[in-house]
Amino acid sequence: MKELALHILDIAENSIRAEATEIKITIVEDVVLDVLEITIEDNGAGMDNEFLDRVLDPFITTRTTRKVGLGLPLFKLAAQQCNGDLIIESRKDIGTKVKATFQHSHIDRVPLGNIVDTIVAIILADEKIDIKYKHVYNSDEFFLDTVEIKEVLKGVPITNIDVILWIKSHIKEALKELVKS
Amino acid sequence: MLVKELIQALDLEVIAGIEGEDREITGVYISDLLSWVMANLQAGNVWITIQTHVNVVAVALLGEASCMIIPEGAEIDENTIEKANQEKIPLLRSKLTAYQLALKIKEASNLK
Repeated sequence: MKELALHILDIAENSIRAEATEIKITIVEDVVLDVLEITIEDNGAGMDNEFLDRVLDPFITTRTTRKVGLGLPLFKLAAQQCNGDLIIESRKDIGTKVKATFQHSHIDRVPLGNIVDTIVAIILADEKIDIKYKHVYNSDEFFLDTVEIKEVLKGVPITNIDVILWIKSHIKEALKELVKS
Repeated sequence: MLVKELIQALDLEVIAGIEGEDREITGVYISDLLSWVMANLQAGNVWITIQTHVNVVAVALLGEASCMIIPEGAEIDENTIEKANQEKIPLLRSKLTAYQLALKIKEASNLK
């Protein structure tokens, strides 16, 4: 894919289908250590070991388990092409954690891309799901928690257009500051 | 063949770097994996790639591409356009696929 944000959206969609009520997305950019790390963690249905073994095989997963498709194999390929890797930890009825690492400066590493729209798309997908998005850039970090936002909203749905527009510009501004620092 | 003749012949959209339109074209190279392109792009090649982030300008400069063509009308990042203008390397776009572009270039030129 042309943007890492699309991979994040794809994996988060797995979490939504796995009926997660909480999705944590963590992006760590360390320019000094030259590492980019993306973690997507959910409390959804999880996978048993047998399923977990097959989930990275594109030929088997697309046949028998439509739910996961090519998303994970392609994300792993993208990471491996950039001196990184992808690991999945999952436990049935507990949840799943997908962690991908990249060499930050690798020439084949596509940009993070439109992370703002990705986060907003996940929020809009189901207002009952809580999203915790943390973005670390060297020693600084940005954190967005829909639980906190919902508390302030006092019953106004988080999918309200004005709320969404606010969240969008909030993330956009924060990331601009983050990367500048 | 010059880049400006190619632009005319294929009716390419000029996105940036028009100052480089007098470059001579030596051949065509098509690939999207930047590390592979770095190793194999020949000086003077037209480089066709679907990658549109700013790294493509760096790779095109390094390999001395005569110009870049983005196929299938793909959207191009703003800083890629800025960089191509700065470096005066023609950044062109077409609605055609990479394969169709290659065929048209063959028709319009005597490139092998």
